[in-house]
Formats: sequence, C-alpha cells, structure tokens
Amino acid sequence: MKYLLVNSLVAVSLSAAEAPVTYLKDVAPILNKAGCTSGPCHGAAKGKNGFKLSLRGYDPQFDYEALLYDLSGRRFNRAEPGKSLMLAKPTQEIAHGGGLRFEKNTTYYKTIFNWIAQGVPYGDVAKDKVASIQVEPTEIAMPKPGEKLALKVTATYPDGTTREVTREATIESNTPDVARVDTASATVAGERVGEATLLLRYEGKYATIPVAVLNPKPGFVWKPLAQHNYIDQLIDAKLQKMKIQPSPLVDDAAFLRRVSLDLTGQLPAPDEVRAFLADNTPNKLKRSKAIDKLMAKPAYVDQWTMKWGDLLQSSRKFLGEKGTYGFREWIRESLAANKPYDVWVRELINSSGSSYESPEANYYRTTRDAKATMEKTTQVFMGTRMVCAQCHDHPFEKWTQNQYFEMSAFFSGVGVRPGYEVGEEIIYNQRSDFAMKHPKDNRVMEPKYLVAAAGVPPLPPHDLDARKRREAFANWLTSRENPMFAKSTVNRMWSYFFGKGIIDPVDDIRASNPPVNAALLDALTKDFLAHNFDLRYLMRTIVNSRAYQASIATNEWNAGDTTNFSHATPRRLGAEQLMDAVSQATGARPDFPEVPEDTTATQLPDPHVGKEGFLDLFGRPTRETACECERRTELSLPQALNLVNGGTISDAVADPKGRVAKLVLSGRPDAAIVEELYLASLSRLPSKAESDSGLAYLAGGPRAGRAQDLLWALLNSKAFLYSW
Amino acid sequence: MRLPLLWALPYFAPCLAAAEPSFYRDVRPILQQQCASCHRPGGASSGLDVTTYSALAAGGKRGAAFVAGQADESLTVKYLLAVAQPRMPLGGAALPNDQVELIRAWINAGAKDDSPAVETSTAKPALYSQAPVITAVRYSPDGQLLAVAGNGEILLHRADGSGLVSRLPGQAERLLSLAFSRDGKILVAGGGTPARFGEVQVWDVAAAKPLRAMKLTTDTVFGASLAPDGSRIAVGCADNTVHVFDAKSGEEAYKIGNHENWVLSTVFGVNSQRLVSVGRDRAAKLVDAATGRFLENVNLLRGELTAVARHPAKDIVVLGGEERVPYVYLMDRPKNMKIADDTTLVRKLGRQNGPIMTLDWSPDAQLIAVAGAAPEVNLYDAGTGELRWALKGHAAGIYSVTFSPDSKRLAAAGFDGQVRLYDTSTGQLVKAFIPVPMAAMGGAQ
Repeated sequence: MKYLLVNSLVAVSLSAAEAPVTYLKDVAPILNKAGCTSGPCHGAAKGKNGFKLSLRGYDPQFDYEALLYDLSGRRFNRAEPGKSLMLAKPTQEIAHGGGLRFEKNTTYYKTIFNWIAQGVPYGDVAKDKVASIQVEPTEIAMPKPGEKLALKVTATYPDGTTREVTREATIESNTPDVARVDTASATVAGERVGEATLLLRYEGKYATIPVAVLNPKPGFVWKPLAQHNYIDQLIDAKLQKMKIQPSPLVDDAAFLRRVSLDLTGQLPAPDEVRAFLADNTPNKLKRSKAIDKLMAKPAYVDQWTMKWGDLLQSSRKFLGEKGTYGFREWIRESLAANKPYDVWVRELINSSGSSYESPEANYYRTTRDAKATMEKTTQVFMGTRMVCAQCHDHPFEKWTQNQYFEMSAFFSGVGVRPGYEVGEEIIYNQRSDFAMKHPKDNRVMEPKYLVAAAGVPPLPPHDLDARKRREAFANWLTSRENPMFAKSTVNRMWSYFFGKGIIDPVDDIRASNPPVNAALLDALTKDFLAHNFDLRYLMRTIVNSRAYQASIATNEWNAGDTTNFSHATPRRLGAEQLMDAVSQATGARPDFPEVPEDTTATQLPDPHVGKEGFLDLFGRPTRETACECERRTELSLPQALNLVNGGTISDAVADPKGRVAKLVLSGRPDAAIVEELYLASLSRLPSKAESDSGLAYLAGGPRAGRAQDLLWALLNSKAFLYSW
Repeated sequence: MRLPLLWALPYFAPCLAAAEPSFYRDVRPILQQQCASCHRPGGASSGLDVTTYSALAAGGKRGAAFVAGQADESLTVKYLLAVAQPRMPLGGAALPNDQVELIRAWINAGAKDDSPAVETSTAKPALYSQAPVITAVRYSPDGQLLAVAGNGEILLHRADGSGLVSRLPGQAERLLSLAFSRDGKILVAGGGTPARFGEVQVWDVAAAKPLRAMKLTTDTVFGASLAPDGSRIAVGCADNTVHVFDAKSGEEAYKIGNHENWVLSTVFGVNSQRLVSVGRDRAAKLVDAATGRFLENVNLLRGELTAVARHPAKDIVVLGGEERVPYVYLMDRPKNMKIADDTTLVRKLGRQNGPIMTLDWSPDAQLIAVAGAAPEVNLYDAGTGELRWALKGHAAGIYSVTFSPDSKRLAAAGFDGQVRLYDTSTGQLVKAFIPVPMAAMGGAQ
C-alpha cells in the first residue's frame, strides 16, 4: 500500500537559477550510482547498520519513505541542509562503514544539498520517472584491440524530455577481458579479439551494446566451406564478418562417436564403426543416414528420457518409487511417440488426478508450492529465472516483484492430497481460498502473463477458477507467439550438441544475456515452429549441420573463437555416458542394484540408484532443482584418482566374461586384438604407430594381462573421457 | 605513502607545543570520525569503544588502548602506523599525519582526561528559511504550554497555538522526545545529533534555562520518559541499551542491555517501579525500574516496534511499529506463561495505512491516538477498540502526537513542519501553525 507522496509540502521559493530537484529524477540515481543501494550496503535484505534501501533502488518509493519516516526523518535536515546525515555520511565527514562515496565539492553533493534545501520533494511519477534509455553507439565494431570509445546514455522522460545520464548510469561488460569498461570516463576499450556485450542500466531501464573487437591481422581470406543447411549459412555470415575461418568437417570415425554419444548416450560398436568407415556413400548423405539410424534406436529414447527426467526432476525423493517409474514411463512414451513438444508440455501443465493413473500429474508433486512450480516452469520451459523477483524486482531484467506473484497465481489453485493407495497422491483444482497474496501487503494478486503473446485471449480481470488458470497458462506458454517458449527450447537443445547455448546459460535468458547469433536462434525457432514443435526434426537439423560436424582442430583464424561455433569443442562425457561407455568398451555388463539386469546408467529411473557411487562422482544431477547447472561436467582430481585407482575400470577390464577375455580366448591375432580395443574404446582405428606399440606391448608378457593393460590405458586416456 | 616517523616528528612538534593537546577538544573528534563506526558502544570491534575517555582507557580485547606518556608503546598508535597489523582504520585510508601526531602528542603528554564533568546544552536559536520536521510535541501538565521540538531547540508555545512563549536552544540537532515533570517545572528532552552524540537535556521551564545535559553514546537517544514520581529518566539508545538516570543529580543509575537492536521508546509503570522499553528487535521488555533487572517480555515478537504509551492509571501499554497494528497489552506477563500464549493481549486496534511512529493514551483514559507514515491520526475508543475519528489535514507522515491534560485537544506534527490541533470530541481540526519563526516568510503565525 502506497500511503503518500510528498511534493513541495513546504512552500519554498526557488531562485530562478536553482532548478527544481526531485527524489525520483535526481536523488535516487545518485544513491544508486554511489553504491548506497547496492547489495553489500543498504540494499541488503536487512539493510546496513539500521538503514535499509531497496536493492539497486528498484523501489524508489520505499526508499523515499525510508528517508522520510525511518527514525523521524533523521537523515536530512531542512533547516540546515549541510548538517544532513545523508551528506555527512557519504562524504565521510563522520565515520561511515561504507567509506567515502563522494566528495563535498561534487555535483552529487550539491544535488542532494539542493534537494534538501527545497524540502525533499518526491517528484511526479508521470514526469520524473525514466520512460526509456538510449545509448550511443548502439553497436560497436572495433577494427583492432587497443581502441577506445566513449559511451553515451540518454534518459527519456514520459513528457518526451531527455537528458544525458552517462555519469549516473551503470555500465558493465559481460566479458571484460575482451571489452573493458572504464566507469570514470564512461569509455570502453578493446582488450583482445572477441565479442562482448555491454549492459547499461539506469533507474530500472536497460540497454545492451554488442561489441566486436576484430582481428587486425592482415591476410584474412574467407575460404568458403560447403554448407549443409541454413545453420551453416547463418554461422558463416557471422564468421566472415568477424574474420574467423571455420574448421572443416571432422573425420568419419570421430563424427560417428560424437553423434552416437550425443543422440543415444552410447558409443558406436566396433562393427558399426567399421561399417561406417567402409561405406563409400558421399559424405553428407552417409552421415545423414547414420543420424537417422541412431534416432531410430531405443537408446535414443533412453537418452532423452533421462535428459527430460533431469529437467522435470523425476526422483523418488519427491515422487516415491512407484511414482518415479510412472512419471519416467510417461516421459518415455511421449518422446518415443515423438509427441509434439507443445502438446506434452500442455499435458503436464493441465495435469490432474491420481499420481498413479495420470503420471504426468507428478509434475506438481516435485514442486508442491505455487511459487516453486512457477519458478520451475519458467526456468524449464522459458529459460527464465524468476527467483530473484520473489524478494525484489529482478536486478538484470525487467521482471518485477508483482509479476513474480502474478505468474505464481496461475498455480495457486493446484492442490495435492493423499490418494487411496500407499504413496498415491491426487492433484486437484482447489475451489476456494487459493488466492495468491503479495507478501508485502497481503494484496490479492490476479494471474497475469509475463509477456504478451499475440493471439492468446486476454485473461478476465478476476475470478478465474483454478482449472481455468492453468489452462490459460498452458495455452499462453505453448503459444507459437510466446516469444520465449520455442526459442528457449531450441537454445537448450542446441547446447546439448555444442556444449554451449546460443544464449548461455540456457536457463538464464534475459535482456542482459543476449544471443551470440540472434539470426541463427531466430531461424532455428522459426523452423521448429514450422515443423510443429518436432524435437526430433530440430535435433536432426542441428546434427546435420557442418557446424556440428566440424573438427575440434583449429586454424590461425579461429583458434581464439569460443563463441561462434567455428570449430567443435571437446566435451567430457556425462556421468551416465561414461559409465555406459566403460561397460561397452570392456564388455562388462552393467550391474546396478534394484533394477533389472543389464539396465544401463542412462536407463536408470532416478538418482537414487547407485547413489554416492561412480555416477555421482562424475556429476550426475541430483534432480533437486530445475537448473541445467545441476549436471557437472568438469574433470576433478577425485575423478581422475577413481579412474586410475578405483575399481570401476580395473574390474571392468578384468571381467572374465568381458571383451578382453573373449578376445584372448578367440585366438585372433594380436593385430586384431589391438584394433578391436581401439575401436571399442576410442571408436577409431589405431594409427600405425599406435598399432605397433600395442603389438610390442602384447608380445612383452602374458597376453591376457597385457591386453587388459592396454584397454585400461585407453580408458584412462583423454580421448576416451571426452567427446571430440 | 606515509612519511617516516622520524622525519615527521620534529616537523610537527613546534606547532603542537603551542597548546597542551586536549582529549575532549582534539583527540575525541578524530576518534569519533575515523574509528567510531566500528569501535562504538554496542558491538564494539575487538571490545574497544573509543567514544569516551573512560571507555578508551578501559581498552579492548587486545589490551590497553594507550600507555600514558609512551605513545609509541601504545596499541592505538601501533595500529594506526601499521606497526601492529592489521593497519587501522581497517580497509580505509591511513590517518593523515597531523591526526596521528595529535594522538601521539596527547598520549606523550600523559593521556589526560579533560572531558567536562557536567555539561549544559546551550546554543543560539536557529534561523529558519523553511520549516523543519517536527519530531516531538508535548503539553505541560497545567495545560498552558505546548512544547515543540524544532531544529536544535525546543519551542514553548501557548497551548492554543496563539503564540511563541520561549525558545530553548541546545547542542543536540534533533530532539525526538519530550517529557514534563508532574509539577510542570521541569522539561526533559531526549535526542542528539545523528551518528555523533546522544543527549538528554533537563530544562527549568519557568526560567527557560538549562539545568543540565547528559551526553551519551554516539547517536541520538530515543523515547525519553520521566517516571511519574519524577525520580528517574529513561532513554533508549542506538547501542541497544536503555540508560536510566537519576533525574535530580543527572547521574546514571544503570544501563540495561537486554535488547538486540536499537531501543526506540520507553515508558514507566504507574507507580514508577517498573519500566517498559521497545525497539527494533521487535521486543517490549519489562524491567524493574529500581535496579534494571529484567522481569518479562510483554509481547510476542512481530514487527519492529517504534512507540509505546501507557494507560494513565493502569499498567496497560499500547505498542506499535512496522507491522502497522497497535497492540494493547497488560504490562505484566506471568512467568509461567507458555511462549506462544498471548492471553495478556487485551486487544488489537485497526491496521494503519503506514508504519506506526507515535502513540498516546488520553489522560482521561478514553482514547488512544495512533499515527505514523500515513498522513492521518486515528483516534480509537480505548475501551472498545473502535475507531472514533480519523483526523485529517496532514500532508505527510506524523512523528508525534499528544493529548492535552484535559484530553480535549490532540496535537500532532511531523514531516510537513506544521503543528495541528484537533478537537477530540468532534475530530475537527482547530488550528494549524508553523511553530518556528521563519526568516524568509515573516516569522511565526
């Protein structure tokens, strides 16, 4: 509840020379820029030393009222403005825990002084609140590192007046080692070749400036490579502009390994590699056929069931054992049938009933609270993190605290009650008392869409029942016009094949985190929509591109590129991929407790199985949040020690029914054994040198033990641990 | 870079020789400015409080702050010069040489205390170009005067607002609370200058002269109250303490440290035997007024508390603050009550449109006045809790309300700098005036 705004209460005659100063227009920007409202200072949730302001000044009225009413307005002195605490503290005339914020001879001091002398007026929201900001330049392309450019920020007010606010604006670079911002002079300097985005903020308004620092090296000649589809066209367009020469296609063996791991989570079998290498079909067609074959395998469904199980937090911790299996089967069937993405997302959102009979209703059992459900839903299906806005307006986005609760109101009518069977729960639509209330003043928040989507009918102003709330939300979320639904999904899927989204992180899309190639993301989104939310089509398009099939080897023009997909990047195998790859390479059958024999790591129902073992060590997600970041892909020392000293690999290579044992017993020549072990682990043939040293090693001692050693060494190589 | 000491010393020595270094005049302001944001009463870093001579002399966890006559053996100097680590002020710029030299000179000269024993507070009356915020209003017990806290002074007006009688200027910039003795001869004011010092002023009303002033802590004091029998003065402090003074001598009787945040208001019980204090820690604490011994918590913790007022004849208090709801509680809460038991709550009054900043209970016990950040005073029937009147006319929030001794008038004032007088039987605004003489606008009305 806003109780009052004060405007020129105390009659003060201003001399003509003294421009009127208001809190909204003049003082709040100073408090923000001087850092008073920052997170570690008075903007902290509990304030600092007894004085609290809103974080980064997102709520100027709250801050104004804090100045007026906290401890009877002790921070200003209208009778003697120079004695005001809010001048003495930041100038350190008296001890200030936050140190010196500005000096007495600055315009900041004078502005606040004049504001107090004028009676501390708030200002007129219709006149003094910034409507938008404009930045100059809007795009920066520096021909070489070392250049410097001045930035300018202009604020526009509702009445159309403008003023320059460069000094008070906050300017940050998302990649300071490419483009470094000097705040004092409001300039940006190119540090090294690459790209960066500048984020400029002023009074809750945002703008971004893309910066490209070009390679000044002479002699760049664009050498066009064959383009497989529109993805390559759009990537090449950007690369050519940035003077980056892409890497050519990776060789067949590495391609098959990469695409098998990405689509099915499994290594190609030695015979598959041999057949693929022997196939003389023209390269592009051959690869395309291999892709179709992989997507037809059951392992493809396993792999993506696992991925969506991660995102939807399918885990017995929330769902119980039976619930987990049920939910997993529902996901699997949706993917196996290639149900359009929008259709099955609508089914999830609208789900009701018994968790056993309508397993999709488990969606509401992992996050049982409306706010948590809203946070999960926006993060998974829109790539947007709303959580910051629960306590204050989002600091890097336009989302407000009100929107957080308006969005949560779509789910406030979802009820969960015990069912009739053990472990069963019923998801139902509550009939009354489900209003979502704002924590500040208990006001009832009606559901409201976060962003407009053309074609989605407007919501009635109030009295929407619980079922209709979710229906309305589901229709809006999955609408073709929803600017975030298809786009965030396309971006997320892209990241699974490139190790990085076009917007990254994929579940933190915001104005201050723009795409590295907007045209590419738009084209993929459009294509996805044109093919009716077909996830398989989308994946097939991505993996058929030359960009996906590029080599990890770089040339002199793209060695420094980490953003434009000009070459492939080695990616460590995920925990389940790695576990399954060890089984496949060694022929040791997987042996997990509580699941049927031969269940692979990828097929496990939830993180409960094999807890605290190899999989968790290698970063399997715990499925406790909807964050993509739950899956860890770094390589750590405990992991390396496990591979070298732990039982997982040494037991598998020595398995008496395993690959080595069978090969040795088969009586095949040593050369065949060496070749088979390379194919089984690294999915490629050994080079001449590798083959020779392998043969020499096998000949140097007991054959079975030596063959085990060779496989052990291969499994401990980087080439095995990574997809490349 | 800091200058080498050997070089600096002879350079500064001649000018220091001119006057004996003074703790009160020279050293104290340096410590106040440079060190007191951490080394202050209530949460003093390393247990060291530098705000008074006695506190400094008591030293901290690391030992004595100074060794009289031996500046370079003194911890204070060692830390300032980085001889001991970490260099002070922690994380800030080193002190200028002249300041360090002043401290050294004072210690070398024997580290004597020259703080004045009894202070009075006097200053020149302020000139106003615009009305200051009004932080406190209070009627004299005979109903003749209305005391108003202006900027650095108390203004005594005729109770009907018909004219200014006298001005009582002091050193404190802000006076946040006023209390008359029962006979009306003495006026107590509590306040200070924010982030510098707290002050309790005791005035002879008839002579308009200060009797004494007690300085304490490094920030203003809040919610000063005078026991009904005139024996004691209590004030809440920003160092989480309540200080209780002997009203006659001005000596500190004791200090209470049972709050966990700033203490913003106090009130004595009917028979002056007990004292209730409220603060930002959300607690209302009841103590024995003779000794300061903690008795009980009055309330269940809800929002931060700003104001407390007592029934004129019974030990019942009304308290309010951040949560906007005034709670009427019995002052006593039997020891054997369970924690969540709230049966001593007499009633809740209506929710206000903004945080509560001031409360008063009418002398005839009939009405409770509630006001705060919203520009209105709500008058409740104390017996039923019903809203009697919503008093309008203020343009902004209200810092202080008070009933006249006959309960017929209510004075309210706050941010907009005007005092407004209301008829409590009709809810009508009787008079509004700016209580300070305005230089530019032709003086008081």
